[in-house]
Amino acid sequence: MKRYFLAPLVLAALLVLLLLRPELMTPLLRLLAEPGQDLIYDRKPLMTLALWHLALVGAAGLVATATGLALGILVTRPGGAEFMTLARMASNLGQTFPPIAVLAVAVPLLGFGFEPTFLALCVYGLLPVFETTVAGLRGVSAPVREAARGMGLSGVQRLWRVELPLAMPVILTGIRLSTVINIGTATIGSTVGAVGLGEVIVAGLQSGNTAFVAQGAALVALMAICAETALRGLGRLADSGALTRA
Amino acid sequence: MKGAMIRVEGLTRRFGDAVAVDAIGFEVARGEVLALVGTSGCGKSTTLRMINRLIEPDKGRVEIAGRDAREMAPDALRRGIGYVIQGVGLFPHWTVARNISTVPRLLGWDRSRIAARVDELLELFGFDPAEAGPKYPAALSGGQQQRIGVARAMAAEPEILLMDEPFGALDPVTRARLQDEFTAIRRRSGLTAIIVTHDMDEAFRLADRIAVMDAGRILQIDTPERLLRGPREGFVRQFVGLDDRALRILSLHRVRELARPAPDAPAPAQWVAPEDTLREAASRLIWEGGEALAVVEADRITGEIRAEDIWRVGTRGAA
Repeated sequence: MKRYFLAPLVLAALLVLLLLRPELMTPLLRLLAEPGQDLIYDRKPLMTLALWHLALVGAAGLVATATGLALGILVTRPGGAEFMTLARMASNLGQTFPPIAVLAVAVPLLGFGFEPTFLALCVYGLLPVFETTVAGLRGVSAPVREAARGMGLSGVQRLWRVELPLAMPVILTGIRLSTVINIGTATIGSTVGAVGLGEVIVAGLQSGNTAFVAQGAALVALMAICAETALRGLGRLADSGALTRA
Repeated sequence: MKGAMIRVEGLTRRFGDAVAVDAIGFEVARGEVLALVGTSGCGKSTTLRMINRLIEPDKGRVEIAGRDAREMAPDALRRGIGYVIQGVGLFPHWTVARNISTVPRLLGWDRSRIAARVDELLELFGFDPAEAGPKYPAALSGGQQQRIGVARAMAAEPEILLMDEPFGALDPVTRARLQDEFTAIRRRSGLTAIIVTHDMDEAFRLADRIAVMDAGRILQIDTPERLLRGPREGFVRQFVGLDDRALRILSLHRVRELARPAPDAPAPAQWVAPEDTLREAASRLIWEGGEALAVVEADRITGEIRAEDIWRVGTRGAA
């Protein structure tokens, strides 16, 4: 267990430290800022921004994962194959459509703030989960599927006991990709008033403060790397079988 | 045939325009092993898979122990029939013990009964339960996986076993050993089985009767010996292979059937056992150049077998 999660724990500790004590970054930020500019963003506590950022990505990730999983399962069932083209088209569209465009469309409908950003991230995070769910379920070897059927496992039993556990490592890759992409993408939510670390970057861009831009970007990047290593650890754990072995 | 365990009537299945299985009918008696043989695509696997309804027939009916298979729920039907597939298909995320216990769990056996049955089967197939049970399939050799596949199919004590190329993709030595093991086990347990194979030798070793299939039809269904002595013209003749049929007939008989009495004495250097086949005895006689061989059990001579008797069995018209 420890060997899978050591790196994300160390990174998370570093992130929390920087969020609570941003002044530790000043020596580096000083190199970027014009004389007289503020070095540390102080209109809101960085910790608050990070937590909102995380909540936004987490909530959207849950929805994207649930939808992607459900769609992926649906189209790999015997009766669901006809939905394959439609589902693939929809999730592809979600990925191709720039999130900023989704925001532009969503703001008039949902207003400013959390909601439009949440919607954009849900749509954007769907494709990786959907595609890896399909790939994972299809990757279950034919003899294994045939054996499960021939042994008298019902459709639901085959899915839960055999197919999903065997597809899990692949599906986790999709969830990881989706989450990491969205941690970065969530920054654009700040252009429509969603609370998050993007706010620091946007403020820096508006006032020509490179130090703000750099610290916002650095914190988001650190959060993304942290999530990436944590989910990778989870994937390794699944690969080792610890999650799925009954 | 009254009391047939499996009875198939007019079974037909099309895939698109192609007729995979064409109005097939046969019966398998309780305790009998039937082999379906033929080239790839002759419809033998499709026939097998229609018996446990992995494929639904277009026409015809399957009766299991007198009951129409269509009247049973497919999952329940399959839980009652052992099924061994070509690719083995062990569940890679489950231990060997968990794999074997698949069907008993589905049937809701209690824990202690499952554990006892798993240990029993592991021992039956030559494993140490404490050592092999917790292993994952990936840690087993091909032959071991195949044995676990058969053990898993037998776990819930089914009366019927369907086997699709059960010993394919194994080296000849392992294959022969598993075939012998299977024959011994099914004699003891009284299993009824249908085995699909493209290997005529395997059919001769395992089956009581053999059905030769081509293009979705059964061309001939007979005991191995009758098939060798009187194959129908055409495909059967070609598929059964007549070049060495005398030797194949010899391999269907045991030394004990022909042994004559002989005075008790210590075992000589060259001898045969009562359970050896006549083919083995013949081979040894040819090699040694003699007229007779001692039959030995537990290091004592119990009889003798003569070359002339063996040759007579392998001659046209004998039976």
